[in-house]
Amino acid sequence: MRKFLLPLLFLLLFIVESLFVEYLPEKVFGFERIFVPHFLFIAILFLTIFVGRKHGIIYAAIFGLLYDVVYVEIIGIYFFLFPFISYLIYKLLQVLQANLITAFLAAIFGVSLLEIGVYEMNYLIHVTDLDFIGYMNLRFYPSLILNAVVTLIAAYPLKWLFEKHSEAIRAE
Amino acid sequence: MPQFFLNKRLIILLVSIIVLVALIGFSLRERSKLSWPEQFLKDTTGWVQSLVSKPTHFVTGFFENLQDLQNTYDENKELKSRVENLVNLEAQVQELKQDNKELRDILGEKRTLRDFKPLPATVIGRNPDRWHEMIIIDKGKLNGIKKNMAVVTATGLVGKVKNVTQFSSTIQLLSAMDPKNRISAVVQGKKDVYGFVQGFDDKRKLLLIKAIPSGEKIEKGQKVITSGLGGVFPKGLLIGKVVDVKPDQYGLNQTALVQPGADFYDIENVIVIKRLMTQPVNMESTDGKEKDL
Repeated sequence: MRKFLLPLLFLLLFIVESLFVEYLPEKVFGFERIFVPHFLFIAILFLTIFVGRKHGIIYAAIFGLLYDVVYVEIIGIYFFLFPFISYLIYKLLQVLQANLITAFLAAIFGVSLLEIGVYEMNYLIHVTDLDFIGYMNLRFYPSLILNAVVTLIAAYPLKWLFEKHSEAIRAE
Repeated sequence: MPQFFLNKRLIILLVSIIVLVALIGFSLRERSKLSWPEQFLKDTTGWVQSLVSKPTHFVTGFFENLQDLQNTYDENKELKSRVENLVNLEAQVQELKQDNKELRDILGEKRTLRDFKPLPATVIGRNPDRWHEMIIIDKGKLNGIKKNMAVVTATGLVGKVKNVTQFSSTIQLLSAMDPKNRISAVVQGKKDVYGFVQGFDDKRKLLLIKAIPSGEKIEKGQKVITSGLGGVFPKGLLIGKVVDVKPDQYGLNQTALVQPGADFYDIENVIVIKRLMTQPVNMESTDGKEKDL
């Protein structure tokens, strides 16, 4: 049971992201902005922080590939960025102490790195011709606020879940 | 040996960047279909997605119905006034259809560019990062869907089929920025004016119709439909209404800004359009980098 819990959770988050975008109204509080959910990536970052590097990076690679194949149809963008940023965050948290607040800040930092990385890559391959300032206003700030709120709500349950999980791994 | 480990990390990073570039290059290439591992992954996730999204559609549909009930009285009043006109119109349409059929019989032409077969489908997913503006529907190759078919909602054209797998397919919306995506369109007026739907103005949410000859006069409020001359889309699918016209970069052509008829954001059910008129045989050989649909 415990073995299937994490993959199921991540798969659920993977699907919830697409449902979220489908049902989010076009104008939130009267602003026409693009809110990009990164629930899956937040959970992966928490996994990296509270369970371990190996788990985090493996899950990041698998779900990054799945994300690319199913949603983006250009393989490589998330497949590279998910594990890479997970690794950076792991390194960062080695310097700092891993608790709720640092994990929260690290997750926000990771999501902003991901957002900017994806924008730069898309700009490079001419998927978009949005300028950087326009990008910041249209996508970056709204997405960051959305993901910060979600992280704030989910931080404690995720930490609890992953700490229990890592205890179970150690017990085996 | 800290030096050694540093090098190892660097090598892993470099190798992964090379792999990244190779993979992106591989997937950006013009592909007639997806490789089988991709198709397998998409079908599996598509199945899970429809498992989750069908109940949510049901629940949200229920709440939407409740909201609709509140407006029923006002709507009913307005609709009643329209129904009276409708009867008149229906009689006219009947007459025109009859006329059309007789004339066609005389000519011996049976099929037109307008004929199509609709295939209804439900949206089961959407690209969350919204850079690529794609939606996933629950019908695939087994239901007769093929690449590049037109996709419409009740209010107008929304996009084309980008990739097909056995049980699901992805649709690229017109709002996506893709220079390879050109749709032959007609601006309806006293004289039909032809152009290409090419690009989307992100800030104003308007479609751009390019390559309209500069001599042609286009007015606000004229309707734009597909022309069917590209060989894949049928004729007569509504695209939108002209909002503004401006000369292009060099003043040789005009660009019309068009308010799309369909809402590219709030999409739940779509209709995939299968054109009945045969496609030009030499489509394959003329298949260059750019495609006209």
